Order: sequence, then C-alpha cells, then structure tokens
Amino acid sequence: MGAELSVRDLRHVRAGREVLRVDELDVARGARLCVLGPNGAGKTTLLRLLAGVESPQRGRVTVDGLRTVDGGVDLRRRLGYATQRPALLSTTVRRNVELPLRWRKVPRGRRAELALAALERLRVAHLAERPATELSGGEQQRVSLARAIATDPAVLLLDEPAASLDAQSRSAFLADLDQALADRATTVVHVSHRPEEAMRLADRVVALVDGQVHQIGSPELLTRCPIDASVAALVGYDNLVEAFVEADGAVVVDRAPTGLRCDGPAGPATVAVFAGGVRLVGDDEPGVPMRVAQVAPGPGHWTVLLDGAVSLLARVRLDGRPPQAGERTRVSFDPALSTVLTKD
Amino acid sequence: MKESLYEVLARSALVSLSATAIASLIGVSLGTALALTRVGGRRILIAAVNTGMAVPTVVAGLAVALLLWRTGPLGDLGLIYTVQGMIIAQALIATPLITAITMAALRMLPPDLPEQLRLLGANRVQLVLRMWLEARLSLLAAAMAGFGTAISEVGAATIVGGNIHGHTQVMTTAIVESVARGDFEVAIFYGVVLLGLAFVINGLLASVQRRGAAWARS
Repeated sequence: MGAELSVRDLRHVRAGREVLRVDELDVARGARLCVLGPNGAGKTTLLRLLAGVESPQRGRVTVDGLRTVDGGVDLRRRLGYATQRPALLSTTVRRNVELPLRWRKVPRGRRAELALAALERLRVAHLAERPATELSGGEQQRVSLARAIATDPAVLLLDEPAASLDAQSRSAFLADLDQALADRATTVVHVSHRPEEAMRLADRVVALVDGQVHQIGSPELLTRCPIDASVAALVGYDNLVEAFVEADGAVVVDRAPTGLRCDGPAGPATVAVFAGGVRLVGDDEPGVPMRVAQVAPGPGHWTVLLDGAVSLLARVRLDGRPPQAGERTRVSFDPALSTVLTKD
Repeated sequence: MKESLYEVLARSALVSLSATAIASLIGVSLGTALALTRVGGRRILIAAVNTGMAVPTVVAGLAVALLLWRTGPLGDLGLIYTVQGMIIAQALIATPLITAITMAALRMLPPDLPEQLRLLGANRVQLVLRMWLEARLSLLAAAMAGFGTAISEVGAATIVGGNIHGHTQVMTTAIVESVARGDFEVAIFYGVVLLGLAFVINGLLASVQRRGAAWARS
C-alpha cells in the first residue's frame, strides 16, 4: 500500500544560500511523480528531505501525516531508496537484496523468496550468487533497484537510477523498471534531468529550476504548454528563440514569418521548437532566412545547424538531398512541435 | 630450560593476545566513533591518536608504571610487576595504532555508505556492524598490526613487568636479559621462537582474513 507525501512551506538553506523552496506539493497514494530539473536544481535535496535524512530549516515534509524528520527507523523502513551510485555491499547479490529484509525481521525462507522475486522483476535473478561488487554498472543499478523494491515499500524514492547507463541500457532499464512497478501500489518519487525518463515513468511531473518549482502537471501538459523557457528546455525543446507576437497574432522572428500564430497579447515572446519541428523551406517561400552552418548524419535523420538572426538545430529526414553547408534557406516552425511563450 | 621456555612463551602469547583484544575493543570503537560521527573535540582526539602512535614504548611503560606504582593513583590495585599490569601497558601501546587503522579503513568505504544503509532500514547498531563487515579485512589487519606491536615491544614490559622469572618474564625481556648476560645462544633461540610465535599467530589471523575475502566473493 502506497503512502501520501506532502510538502508545505519548505525552505532549505545550505551554506547561507536557499537551495530549495517548495510552497506546496502533494503526492497521492500510489502516484508516480517525477521531479525534473537540471543539475544543481535541488532534486536530490528534495528526495533526501522526503526520506528524512535531512531536515528543512522551515516547513513540513510528511509521509502519511508523519513528519519525516521525526519518523526515524520506522519511517525509513517504509521507504525504498535507489541512488545513481548504488553502494552494493561486498557480498553476493542475493545477500545484498536480503539484507533490508533481514533488518525488517522477515523470516529467512521468506527473505530468499522475496529477494529472488525482486531480482526476477529486474531481470537479474541469474546473478543472485555472484559477488555484487564485481557486476557491471548496469547490473549494479538493477540489483540496487531490486533491493529497494524487495521490501515492497510504501514509498519508492529514485535518485536518477539510470544516470550512469548508456542510452541503450537506459532504455531497457526504464522499461524493466516500469514493468517492475506496474502492478504495485507503491508511491514513487523519481528525480531526473532527462525528460524521456519523466515522460516514461511519471503520471505527474514537477519542473524544478534553481530550487524553485516552476510548473507541476502531467507529462503531456509540460510538453505541450511549458510555462516558461526554463521548463521548455527541461522537457526537451531543442530551440528557444526570441520572437515577437504581432497584433494580428502572427509570430515573427527578426520580422520574418515563422508560420506560427498566437492568441496571446502582442509583444515579445519566446518560441520553443523541437529540432524535428524546424522545417527547411525553399528560399522563395515565407520563412526566417537562415544559412546552413553544419550538417551531420544522425540516426534516421540529418542534424542541421542553422545560422541567421538566431541559431537553430533542425532534424531533416534522410530521404532526398541533404542540405549543404553554406547554403541559404528559409525555415518555418511546425505548430505541432512548437509552442509560443508570451512574456506576461 | 624447556619448562621455562614454555612458560615464557605462553606468558608472552597471553599478555600480547590479551592486550590486542583489549586494544581492539577500544581502538575499533574509538576509530568508528571518530570516522562516523562529528562529535566535539574530534580533531583533538585524532591528533592524540596520531601522537599516541609515535610514543616510544618505554615512555608508555613509564606512564603506566607511574600510575600503577604502589604510591601512584592506581597503586592500591597492586598491578605493578604483574601480568595484568603488562597487559594494560601493551594495550595502551597498541590502541592508537588500531584506532588509526580503523578510522582510515572506515573512511575508505564509499562516503555515502552510512546514509545508504540508513535508507535501507538499518538502525545504529546494524549500521555499525555492517560497516565493520565491509571493512573486515582492514580491521583484521589493524588487529594484526596491534598484535605485532604488542609482542615485539620490550620497554613497557620491562618497566611495568620487571622481568621477574616465573612471574612476569616474557620473550622480549628474556632476550634482553640473555644478551646482557652474554648468553647469545639462548637469546638467539628465544628470538627464533618469538618469530615463530608471531608467525603462527599472524598466520592464523591472515587465514581468517582470507576466509573473510572468500566469504565476500561467495
């Protein structure tokens, strides 16, 4: 059974600097929350405050109404925690996973069953009798996660558990993690700086920048309607371009049409565009004049760097003639892959 | 002579092993406290431990003798020129070494390990026991170093024990006495036996260390 988390009027200061400010944050029982933020945003600090290993200078952090700093061992035994650098103990994988169960006084036979089941969920049961410290980084992450879920925690706190994995391993790891949590009522709080992790694992995302919550919402809401440029950058928009909304709603960059319209007030704005939403159009078509600075092949597309009034990153399909460096072109933005952030 | 040798050998082993056990108890506890907590006066304690390692054994022996002397503060205990007094002196010599090695061993573990253990649900006792298990090979090395210091020292054993035949004479003091008498043959014999004793006991500890490493891999 999951637990309810609540944060109220939280202020956390370190070395005289406020590193975290959260006025209100609630996580419902069984919900999956991702705290998305760049490095140094205060994500791990928030997780540590939720775990009760750090106490805030001001405010309340509670799990099922109990302040985490007062919870002690009893509260910590309701939590599971996996970090980006798991400290596995110098014994076998099985014993590593059994240890938290032993500390919770689970009988020996049941311990072995639960440990093996958790290892199976993370697809590492075949490593059960191997020394844990001799595993690869990816295997260690899986074992660490198996250790965290073996106790069937009410709250699972994940601190960038896939951060040290390469892209391919990370994708498989996240799929297995998603699967491992699928039929559980555990409340999950996961921190990451990778939007794809947030989109994949969370039903709600908190965008945290410089210790402050900028936006809370579903992954879709944050992707489609980021509240500001920093959130747009966080959720993976490749281009943030200074633009202007004209009185008739047309969005222009350096007075050139972008193909976008905005219902908001006229005035300065920022256009956030995914690289896939930058369309190269003919030099005689309406668009922002640019020059192709660099072209490089990517997986399934050309990555094109464009220079002009602004710099842009574009992704162009592999079929047809690739753009040539030095070539003049115009670009427009695909409304489905762009959003206009007005200044008000 | 044979009876005398066995007696001296057994007394040497008893004094040094007892001193090592006491020093391990104190040194591992103190080293753990210094490595894992941020108590006030920690820096002063660490400086004292480091200084303690450099104290000549005769000075340590002198300090213990002054304490245990019949007119000293602990004179009523009647421990001067006794095996128990020698154990106290050797424990005092070995403790700083074991404390320092324990502290270094625990600090060499991943710095966030204590926090991760807490987050896995360990209480304080479980946390410390697990940290010791993780550092077990180094802790055994600390005990071996402590034993090596205790069994090889002669200054404190002479001052506190008095090298009394059949009562407080140990291998090192017997060697010194034999050399003083010009009886090099006996001194060399005692020396070889002392080396053998040290070899056997360190061999046993090393075997425990190897088993520990094998257990970790299994």
